[in-house]
Amino acid sequence: MIDAMFGTNFADGAQRIISFQSRSPVFDIIAERMPQTLWVVGMSYVVGVLIALPIGIISAYKQYSIFDQIGTLISMIGFSVPTFFTGVLLIVIFSTMVPLDSIFWLPSIYDTTHEVTDWESFKFQMRQMAMPVFVLALFNAAQISRYMRASMLDNLGQDYVRTARAKGMTEKIVVLKHVLRNSMIPVITVIALGVPQVFGGAIITEQVFKVNGLGQLLITAIQGSDIPMVMTLTFMFAILIVLFNLIADVLYGVLDPRIRYD
Amino acid sequence: MPDGALPVLDVKDLKTVFKTRGGEVHAVNDVSFSLKPGELLGVVGESGSGKSVTMMSLIGLLPSPPAEVRNGTVMFDGDDLLNVDAARMRDIRGGDIGFVFQDPMTSLNPVFTVGMQIAEPLRKHMGMNKKAARARAVELLELVGIPDAERRLDDYPHQFSGGMRQRVMIAIALACDPKVLIADEPTTALDVTIQAQILELMKELRTKLGMAVIWITHDLGVIAGIADRVIVMYGGQIVEHAPVADLFADPQHPYTQALLTTIPSVSGERSKRLTIIEGQPPILGAAPTLCPFRDRCNKRVEICERMMPQRYPVSGQHDAACFHADPGIPKEKAVGHAG
Amino acid sequence: MTIKTALMGAVASLAFAPMAFADGHEGERGRDGELRIIYWQAVSILNPYLSSGTKDIDASALVIEPLGRYDSSGNPVPYLATEIPTVANGGVSEDLTSITWTLQEGLVWSDGTPVTSRDVQFTWEYCTAEGGGCAQAAKFEGVTSVDIVDDLTVTVNFDGPTPNPYQPFMGGQSPIIQAAQFADCLGPRAPECTDANFAPIGTGPFVVTDFRVNDVVSFAANENYRVASQPAFATVVFKGGGDATAAGRAVMETGEFDYAWNMQLAPDVIAGMAEGGVGSPVSAFGALVERIEVNLTDPSPDLDEGIRSTAEAPHPFLTDPAVREAMSIAIDRELLVEIGYGQAGRPTCNLVPAPAIYASDNTGCLTQDIDRANALLDEAGYMDTDGDGVREMADGTPLSILYQTSTNAVRQDFQALIKEWWSEIGIETELRNIDAGVFFGGDPGSPDTFQRFYADVEMYANVFDGTDPQSYLGAYLCDKAPRPDTQWQGENINRFCDPAYDALWQELTSTGDLDERGRIGAALNDMLTKDSNVIIPLVDRGRVSAHANSLGGIELNVWDSELWNIAGWHRISE
Repeated sequence: MIDAMFGTNFADGAQRIISFQSRSPVFDIIAERMPQTLWVVGMSYVVGVLIALPIGIISAYKQYSIFDQIGTLISMIGFSVPTFFTGVLLIVIFSTMVPLDSIFWLPSIYDTTHEVTDWESFKFQMRQMAMPVFVLALFNAAQISRYMRASMLDNLGQDYVRTARAKGMTEKIVVLKHVLRNSMIPVITVIALGVPQVFGGAIITEQVFKVNGLGQLLITAIQGSDIPMVMTLTFMFAILIVLFNLIADVLYGVLDPRIRYD
Repeated sequence: MPDGALPVLDVKDLKTVFKTRGGEVHAVNDVSFSLKPGELLGVVGESGSGKSVTMMSLIGLLPSPPAEVRNGTVMFDGDDLLNVDAARMRDIRGGDIGFVFQDPMTSLNPVFTVGMQIAEPLRKHMGMNKKAARARAVELLELVGIPDAERRLDDYPHQFSGGMRQRVMIAIALACDPKVLIADEPTTALDVTIQAQILELMKELRTKLGMAVIWITHDLGVIAGIADRVIVMYGGQIVEHAPVADLFADPQHPYTQALLTTIPSVSGERSKRLTIIEGQPPILGAAPTLCPFRDRCNKRVEICERMMPQRYPVSGQHDAACFHADPGIPKEKAVGHAG
Repeated sequence: MTIKTALMGAVASLAFAPMAFADGHEGERGRDGELRIIYWQAVSILNPYLSSGTKDIDASALVIEPLGRYDSSGNPVPYLATEIPTVANGGVSEDLTSITWTLQEGLVWSDGTPVTSRDVQFTWEYCTAEGGGCAQAAKFEGVTSVDIVDDLTVTVNFDGPTPNPYQPFMGGQSPIIQAAQFADCLGPRAPECTDANFAPIGTGPFVVTDFRVNDVVSFAANENYRVASQPAFATVVFKGGGDATAAGRAVMETGEFDYAWNMQLAPDVIAGMAEGGVGSPVSAFGALVERIEVNLTDPSPDLDEGIRSTAEAPHPFLTDPAVREAMSIAIDRELLVEIGYGQAGRPTCNLVPAPAIYASDNTGCLTQDIDRANALLDEAGYMDTDGDGVREMADGTPLSILYQTSTNAVRQDFQALIKEWWSEIGIETELRNIDAGVFFGGDPGSPDTFQRFYADVEMYANVFDGTDPQSYLGAYLCDKAPRPDTQWQGENINRFCDPAYDALWQELTSTGDLDERGRIGAALNDMLTKDSNVIIPLVDRGRVSAHANSLGGIELNVWDSELWNIAGWHRISE
């Protein structure tokens, strides 16, 4: 996608950007790394968001309940325990302690050349993604569920919630329609602004599970003083950050009529 | 006003408690009153006197926890509202009992159109489809005096002024032809000219639609102009209850009397300072056993330190919770201690 | 010379040793499925002429092969050649100025075209082309021409008598590349041939099917490989990245990989992993020496690029032998071995500790002597004049140095210990570590490579291929210094330049007698170590790799690429 968006402009002419390290076109390498990053980091983001939203909503609605306390504990763990620790911990449990022939055994090294062609290979892909996705999703979910909870709490105390109840609306409609719509405004921004990080890859997690994606590419390029590669990647991230800021702003307008530009 | 008709709402011995970290707060204590069809009942009292909490308790709008309705019955349409299930309660809320809140700026959901917010109860309680609900919403907006109603349905609350928003709130409350409309200080947050407009609107609507209204306010001037009967609340209790003319002509409870003297007079001396009631309203840490007003009362007597006054009848529909209104206690003797 | 020749003759008779080894595991090519190799340094390029990284040389060994290799005992064995040429069999001229190789008949590249002597000649042209920055130029030292005799015969001519003519085209560092594929990649254009550099056409047991830079290389069995029953594996996955711990775990604990290279881990960690029961460590000793190299030129960042760390700017105090000797004897090598390598290392004062005939009887540095080191510095006039614990030169320059190495737990331990010992003799040390992929990456554009040497001293391990240290010692000739006009390639990273050394090395190149060669080799070794301490050897290291218990045919080789006999690797039932 990126290659199509930006690459062709450079690629058509002779002026291709060549990596110092490998002496091959930068965009070819980026295109090679993009799938695993999107699969693993992107999936973990999606999973993280999908877990975070319900947890945030329920935690706020049942504030100080057992569910809320457990949710708070888990997000605190997810937030404060670094991914290189959870990653290695999972490897020790699921790759070394669990016997090889068990269905719970998971590969500790990501096979970047694996292609999904049928059900079996799809299952393998899921297995090899399980641990890195879990590690990153825990981290993302911890972050986003906190935002969601805080935003829900802010809105649950608002007067319009009382109005909705006074109109005889069911709790489901009150919470999932009236409150959620308002609560999503700041959360959507946080989620959208986090998307460029997906493309940036998760440097540490990629290193732990050998998912040699964009994060690993950037770090080896930085270490190797591969200036064309670093410049291309950072420029790409810059564009993505600007783009997703714009998207966040547009979404903000969609969700919140008060700041809509008519 | 049909006198003597069966009450549409009959509240007996209502008691509501808030549980807080610092202990319980007894916000409403043994409140009893009734509302006849088509009647406008004014509820007055200073902030924290329990007027809003009482009304919210009726239809279960208080968040629980921390609030808890401990005691009482609220008879409406043959049901005790304190004992009906959640689904029936939701049918009554917004259907048979409409609610208008104090602050129109925050009471509407900012992210939905006004039309959608009016249509919501219509579709739920009246089973209307989208089109019918929209047509009815236009009618309602016209009813509450919003010009260009059809077009404004698609506007969002922030595109309305404060007064207009309160008209929208009223439209929502009236949407399903409620038998009772509870208006909780609906004009307090508005400026004076808008207040007058809303008052006129309410008077007009009441005549037109014939529903009973409970009008909560701390503004006696508003009450004088609109109410049939008035309840005066203090410290979570009803201290005086009277038809509006009687109350202003012959207030019995020292609190009511004091309250009336706080109204600035246009004809009075300019140099005269406004009267204030000394002291603070009580914090109701426990169920009161004595008159809650006694600390601030300038007619306190010895018995006030021993017993809780009952609501003593003064005349037909007039009663007051003060020993001075107790016919069993000789008046001279009672006034004896007054300072 | 006679001994050597006799040895060669004996070896020649065992010419097909690696194939004989495969006996008993015969079968169809590709019968054992997939072989999974993990190197914790990821492969950047598959052309050893453009990279000096072991990872790159080892990965390319699956595809491109030299005329001959050394086996695990250090004996030469023919690969593409029919036999190892010697004076006895007439392959080496009597005057030692030429060697004539004969290619096996019927050899074809993986694309089906025949291997000819032109390819051999081209390989030489490729590495010696102007401006190419060939990383293996030392291999072709002294070669004046490579002449085609006929399609299968090629003669390498040297500029003088060359008693060890097994430099060009022997060992993993100088494999034969296909002339047709690299024809347009000579000189400065070499780095531009991305396709060829990523997927060279070779004669080896495997061909490249997919190359992902710094990530993974996929290989498939070469259908045109000269031994019908080899390789046993149909495909090879060559994964890179991570760290030695994870690689060891993947082989010995989780069993996800079959072979992991260079287990530079604490001995107890390796033992713990081996308890996993899935794989085992395998080790061998050679001449791999962990050493501190002293920069004789000034790496000060105040100097201009192009002057900094070049012979134009001599180092202010490390050019003084007394300072270097003091630094050497201040080190307790026994303790380093104990902490870093356990059984997999031994203290050494030699750059060339093996084979035995080259090993100098040099033990002077083995005992730490801080007092003598201090005395040396006092005598040389470096005194701590301002009382800050750091000695100064006469002009006030403090003896303050930057000490760099690659990122590696053992090396960082060494750094910390040595910094402490040096502080006891009044030398202040600043430590720096650089990611191994960069440090050894050979990128001419990077300021952090070991060749660029923008530091005062640096530590790493190095070793020579084959059994003859001539070219290894040849790295320290004056003109081998990395400098801007060689694109910072070159092995003389100390920028050491001693005419006597150059002369003695020239003598070695014209000496055929093995004992005499040993004497000269040891003398050269002493000039670099005992006499001048330009190189401060620390530990003679064994090499440890790990393999799955189900993987057979592994014979860890310290004299050539570890994957030298990968054609014969196979599955064994457990």
